[in-house]
Amino acid sequence: MTTSTATLTSAKKSAAPASVGRDRSGRQIGVKSALIALIAVSLLPYLLMIVTSVKTNEQFAQSFWSIDFPLHFENYGRAWEQVAPYLWNTILVAGVSIVVVLIVSSLAGFVLARYRFRGRNLIYGLILLLMMIPGIANLIPLFVMMRDLGLLNTYIVLVIPYVAGGVVLGTILVRNFVEGIPQAIFDAARVDGASDARMYFSIMLPLSLPVLGTIALMTVTTVWNDFFWPLLVLSDDSLRTVSVGLQFFQGQNATEVGPLMAGYFIASLPLVILFGFLSKYFLAGVQGGMPGSH
Amino acid sequence: MSTMLMPEAAREDVIDEIAEHDTPLRPVRKKSRRGRLVIYLALVPLVLIVGVFAYYPALAGMFWSFFDWNPASESIFIGFQNYITMFADEIWWRSFRNLGIIFAFSIVAWVLPLLAAELLITLRSERWQFVTRTLLILPMAFPGVVTALIWGFLYEPNQGVFNRFLEAVGLENLTRNWTGMPDSALMALLFVGFPFIAGLPFLIFYSSLQNIPREILEAAQLDGVGRVQRFWRIDLPLMASQVRLLVFLAVVGALQYGFVAYVLTAGGPDNATMVPVLRMINVAFSGGDWGYAAALSTTLFLITLALSAVVVFSGRRERAVTDGGAM
Repeated sequence: MTTSTATLTSAKKSAAPASVGRDRSGRQIGVKSALIALIAVSLLPYLLMIVTSVKTNEQFAQSFWSIDFPLHFENYGRAWEQVAPYLWNTILVAGVSIVVVLIVSSLAGFVLARYRFRGRNLIYGLILLLMMIPGIANLIPLFVMMRDLGLLNTYIVLVIPYVAGGVVLGTILVRNFVEGIPQAIFDAARVDGASDARMYFSIMLPLSLPVLGTIALMTVTTVWNDFFWPLLVLSDDSLRTVSVGLQFFQGQNATEVGPLMAGYFIASLPLVILFGFLSKYFLAGVQGGMPGSH
Repeated sequence: MSTMLMPEAAREDVIDEIAEHDTPLRPVRKKSRRGRLVIYLALVPLVLIVGVFAYYPALAGMFWSFFDWNPASESIFIGFQNYITMFADEIWWRSFRNLGIIFAFSIVAWVLPLLAAELLITLRSERWQFVTRTLLILPMAFPGVVTALIWGFLYEPNQGVFNRFLEAVGLENLTRNWTGMPDSALMALLFVGFPFIAGLPFLIFYSSLQNIPREILEAAQLDGVGRVQRFWRIDLPLMASQVRLLVFLAVVGALQYGFVAYVLTAGGPDNATMVPVLRMINVAFSGGDWGYAAALSTTLFLITLALSAVVVFSGRRERAVTDGGAM
């Protein structure tokens, strides 16, 4: 807490002259150094992971903090052999989940936003209610259900909760988005003789690409991060997804820090790259809005 | 932190929707019988998925919580026995005490994202704002399990960063097995992810600070309001409406807290880091007491539902007041 008060005062110091009108060029050294300090603390564990990932055990013991040459990139080869299957599993599960979630929620969201029919509010209300309940509360009964169905240790059992969770959020996001599309566009299409299917494929889908992208990204992050479900429904190592796989991997390689850290980094890289290219959609998804709405 | 990423995100929307729950009327088109059928057909997959994999398990869980549930063989109806067991379950209540600590800590920890957001909007250079914002939220891109495992590595008693650092500066007597001692394990877990900036609270603080109208800030500046004074007089009051949402998210986040504890301490040592989710999983998967686990699960479920209802209805009242007031 002492650091935070220190940075607050430094923020005050550098901002105060600006309010008087002096120093418009704005070097703001206090503010910037405080921010850099926060960034450094945030990223230090990850930097340490990267630095350590190219060391042998001896190098790690001798020079704990700094980069030490030669760099042992073969750690990455060893880690890749073990982590790659988990990555492929995760990508497969995420891919299937995304396809199902997008089809189901784009159809349902479109219909719920654009048509009036009996039961519409009831269905939407039941979907909204599910947003209030975290999936963890369903863990035990859902597990027993999957066991009774004989689905443990299959890809299907992995996909199910992500689809069930994804369609809820997806339907809500698509419905809200489609409601925002001007009715005039749909009326014009209707006058030109477009069928319902045509309106879905030619108007609604192209216009809602941003929201569909957001839903896809959120599904990927959920699959990548979910821990307890794959932990409980899988005993077969060849089916494990990244988060559970990494924990297993940690147990296998605890004595060799280099490959261990390399494995962590490999497992993070796909998400970090996605984040780098699509951070706008990523943030929109996290904030529950649309890209550019904030 | 990974749990922060998903459904909570759109909850704000949901809260608003439920609180108002009036869908605007739009021109009604007469549909043919066939057209109506198509509408319902389009909803069948959604209703099936949600019904079978969300509503059915939730209700089944409630049902079986009144049984000595043996999924493989016969189950015996035992009334409220599981709930009575729960009230006497010391580990369960201890896990709620830990939950309270986790919740309180996560609220106090908002100081850091708030500070970062304030610093960020103080920056005048757009490029600096963009770069620092991106770097501050970069940890969100790392999988939660990687963050947890790296922190486990930092806490490692022999070669972990914390003990190495303490040795390097001559404070050997402060070194300890951070996650292995009952008195430090919970704190060690809570500090995973320090300084907690990469997350929803920061994003919400930042966007609400950005949305403060310029006129207000300019007027304040004319009146000679300094930066710190501005924080207390303008920023905080204008963020108050977001705080309700954040408190709700913090409660739900705390209720779901579990996987970091599982990875680093598995609830130990001596149940010092036990949380309700882990207790529920242990009862089911280690103890094989499925009926009792269902009762714990139902309890968690009802607590969340009750808290959600509180938030939705308090929101409705607040809105009524503000709508009928100044505007």
